[in-house]
Amino acid sequence: MTNITHGRFALVASRLVGPLALLAVALAPTAAHAQRKSPLEDAPAIRKRLELRETRFEGGVGFGSTINQDFYHTFMLDVRLAFHITDWLSIAGVGGFAVDNMATGFQQNLVATLPAMQGPITREPPKGLATASMSKIDMADALQAEFTPFTGKYSMFGKIFAHYDFYVFGGPGFLKVEPTNANGCGGNPTAYCGDTGWKVGGNVGLGLHTFFNQWIGLNVELRDIIARINPSGRDVNGDGIANKDDLGWGSTYIATANIVIFLPSTAAISQ
Amino acid sequence: MKRPAICFCLCLSVFLGWAGTGNAKAAKNGGSTGAAPAADPNAPDTAADPNAAPAADPNAAPAAAPDPNAAPADSNAAPAPDDSTVTPEGDDTSLTLTPEVKPKTAATLSWQDIVVVPRKAFLKGGRVEFLPFTGVSINDNLIRHYAFGGAINYYLSDALSVGVEGQYYVKELTASEENVGLQYNRIPTLNRYKYSGALIFGYAPVYGKFAWFNKQIVHWEIFANAGAGVIATETVPRDAGLSPFDNNRIMVPVGIGSRFFLFNWLTVNFMLRDYLFTDLFEPTARGTNPALADPTAAKNAADSAFVNNLMLYVGVGVYLPTKFSYRTPR
Repeated sequence: MTNITHGRFALVASRLVGPLALLAVALAPTAAHAQRKSPLEDAPAIRKRLELRETRFEGGVGFGSTINQDFYHTFMLDVRLAFHITDWLSIAGVGGFAVDNMATGFQQNLVATLPAMQGPITREPPKGLATASMSKIDMADALQAEFTPFTGKYSMFGKIFAHYDFYVFGGPGFLKVEPTNANGCGGNPTAYCGDTGWKVGGNVGLGLHTFFNQWIGLNVELRDIIARINPSGRDVNGDGIANKDDLGWGSTYIATANIVIFLPSTAAISQ
Repeated sequence: MKRPAICFCLCLSVFLGWAGTGNAKAAKNGGSTGAAPAADPNAPDTAADPNAAPAADPNAAPAAAPDPNAAPADSNAAPAPDDSTVTPEGDDTSLTLTPEVKPKTAATLSWQDIVVVPRKAFLKGGRVEFLPFTGVSINDNLIRHYAFGGAINYYLSDALSVGVEGQYYVKELTASEENVGLQYNRIPTLNRYKYSGALIFGYAPVYGKFAWFNKQIVHWEIFANAGAGVIATETVPRDAGLSPFDNNRIMVPVGIGSRFFLFNWLTVNFMLRDYLFTDLFEPTARGTNPALADPTAAKNAADSAFVNNLMLYVGVGVYLPTKFSYRTPR
């Protein structure tokens, strides 16, 4: 009986050993693969990172300019204040105060073709009237929430190294506009000289910081303040009368560059 | 008895083979286990990315002390290497940890596989880039052009390239152009772009990386372009009853862009380019002077003006060969 049992056991075992051996061969690479788990798996992408933003205040001044305007390039003194709640989220307020409004090439070319005096065609204004109703920007302000998904550093010519970040932002935007000459309309119904004051709209854009050291850097932003405006100050909807009905949603692109200071002046270092 | 013996031998050989693999791996671990890259006082922010980029960063965090959290816990780990175990390779921008300390045990992939300043993640030298792209003009309020084109660039080195590009333009008149007629009783003098081609030289002086929420490293670079080419333009007659005339003008493209490396063979490129040229526009007197109704006569009397055509592009770069190899071991 014992011999029979032993014989059956040996038979079964001998038949199982082959498949088990194959199974072991098949599993061996899996085990080796598991053993090759990277020590960096689940680790943060960057260790010992300078936390240049988290829980820091930012303030700076610089210059800005409108881009792609029809009639005036507006140059502004720019002020920026921000608080970085986390490394990737911050709130900020920016203010742009017009220093100068310079006529665009398009405005110069257009006005040059207009008559000096009002002619029989009502919608062909004389030079003075056409210029008087064109809008200038006095101020461009914005409140914004900033989202910073990209942070890193770069090398320039392999010699200069700097930390940087890219962010997108959005929030309310405000434009304060006034006509070139509020008293220059001369009663012409197609020239609207009442387009003065604040225009409230939206504000979206992109920005970046590049750091010179832990507490000072350069901030560059490109924003679009979308508000109801009428750059020409003249009839747009074709009813022959220029008024608030001629205001339309339009983009005002503004590029700014600020020197910014971060406080506290020393950045924390991550684990 | 033969069959159990054969089976036993087979199992033994499988086991030994498996154990041998593990033993070889332990030897490969080289004893640098626990020697966190942060041990290098000149190290930049210690990137966990095995392909992380630039060289020693003087603005880096002062991570002088080995970080106990920087390496997997291992009670048998060898001590961290000091400077003497860090040997420059090639130039001072390439450092690697040498496996001088004998290993004891290791449970994971070797720290030797992680260097403080690794190689660039993407090499372009000697490769050809096929770059289909699309773009839009951004500095003309009255007429907007959409561009569809492609470029073929050959990289003489990792930083220098030479290539050719061609593009076809589609125009769109803007609302401002319509308003000029309504508000001032004027029709703007405009040209539309038809197509262009250029020889382009590129130089990439800035190489960087960024972390996506500190989870993933993406490499990128900034490049500058300049070259020479030809652009074909056509007047947009103010009087629709008159025929336009064509111009072929020499242009000089200059620009900057950034390239984001997605795979060994694929990048996403963003470019801002200014095409500088002198164009011929419809003469102001055309429409009132019958002698200028003929396109040739109008072209002879055309007004010349310098044009900055600022275009913003996005493109996808496909690199051949699709793979590259490093010349240095690390």
